[in-house]
Amino acid sequence: MNDMDTDTDAGSDTCLALARPGDTLPEIHFGRISRATLTLYAGASGDHNLVHIDTDFAREAGLNDVFAQGMLSLGVLARVASSWGGADRIRRLSGRFMAITPVNADLTCSGEVAERLEIDGQPHVRVNLVAEIIAPDASRTRTIAGEAIIRTN
Amino acid sequence: MSDTIFPPRGLFNRATTGLKTDPIFFDVEAGRISFFAETLGEDDPVYHDRDDARAAGHPDVPAPPTFPCVVDLETSRIAKRMGRTPIYDLIGCDYTRLLHGEETYEYFGPIYAGDRVSFTTEVVGFEDKKGGALETARLRAEIRHARRGLLVAIERVLVHRLN
Repeated sequence: MNDMDTDTDAGSDTCLALARPGDTLPEIHFGRISRATLTLYAGASGDHNLVHIDTDFAREAGLNDVFAQGMLSLGVLARVASSWGGADRIRRLSGRFMAITPVNADLTCSGEVAERLEIDGQPHVRVNLVAEIIAPDASRTRTIAGEAIIRTN
Repeated sequence: MSDTIFPPRGLFNRATTGLKTDPIFFDVEAGRISFFAETLGEDDPVYHDRDDARAAGHPDVPAPPTFPCVVDLETSRIAKRMGRTPIYDLIGCDYTRLLHGEETYEYFGPIYAGDRVSFTTEVVGFEDKKGGALETARLRAEIRHARRGLLVAIERVLVHRLN
């Protein structure tokens, strides 16, 4: 092909080094969070809080139904940062939970480079991360406002 | 005199401010990492196969970024089995009113399958929010390895809905 192709072997590293504010990270559309998803995540994570897995318990607690573990969405949101920058380059990851994610919600996670910065003499980027649930009418509700600091070299 | 207490005192046990738990040890297993990664829809083979992890330069299967929450919750369960009161019971969590407010991880080194790590939690403090409609608990935790030292520092804010 052309000369550029040999350079793209470096792949994401090259993209990372050149990342600029406003660049978007590939979105991860997780899809519908079913009751099965909540149950499996409860087992895998060790979060056995019944409000996520037992509808009877949730109703007795005055809720309409079970709702998703916040950490399930933050785990998917972290994938946006790790699949783009590499998990071992993430220096810091944070999330503020803004709204409950009801069972059967359609989850999607995205990110955008906010700034380049230097930490301990090493180049990094700060990435804004957003988890959203998509309603049947396509309107979106933000459930997590997150951030990752990722080393770029 | 009125016997109504105002402002409301909340449900968290605020006397636990400053409390620090004794370390609890947790053995990180490859199968647990794979199961956890799978539920997040993570199919990168480094999280599921030791050979793929080694081919990618890791000594063993690495833990994904939010795996520290597994160490947290499992060590809490181990504490209970040891006859200790888990941190979430100590601070008085009411699971019918509990929400997760914030979660922050600072990474100092990777966690791998085969690691024996220790987990400690410190109760930073409690705050009233939204005129007493909410109260928050702030916790700080550390995951350490005997030789490699501090691997992850965790900061967590839990929220009680009070009305």
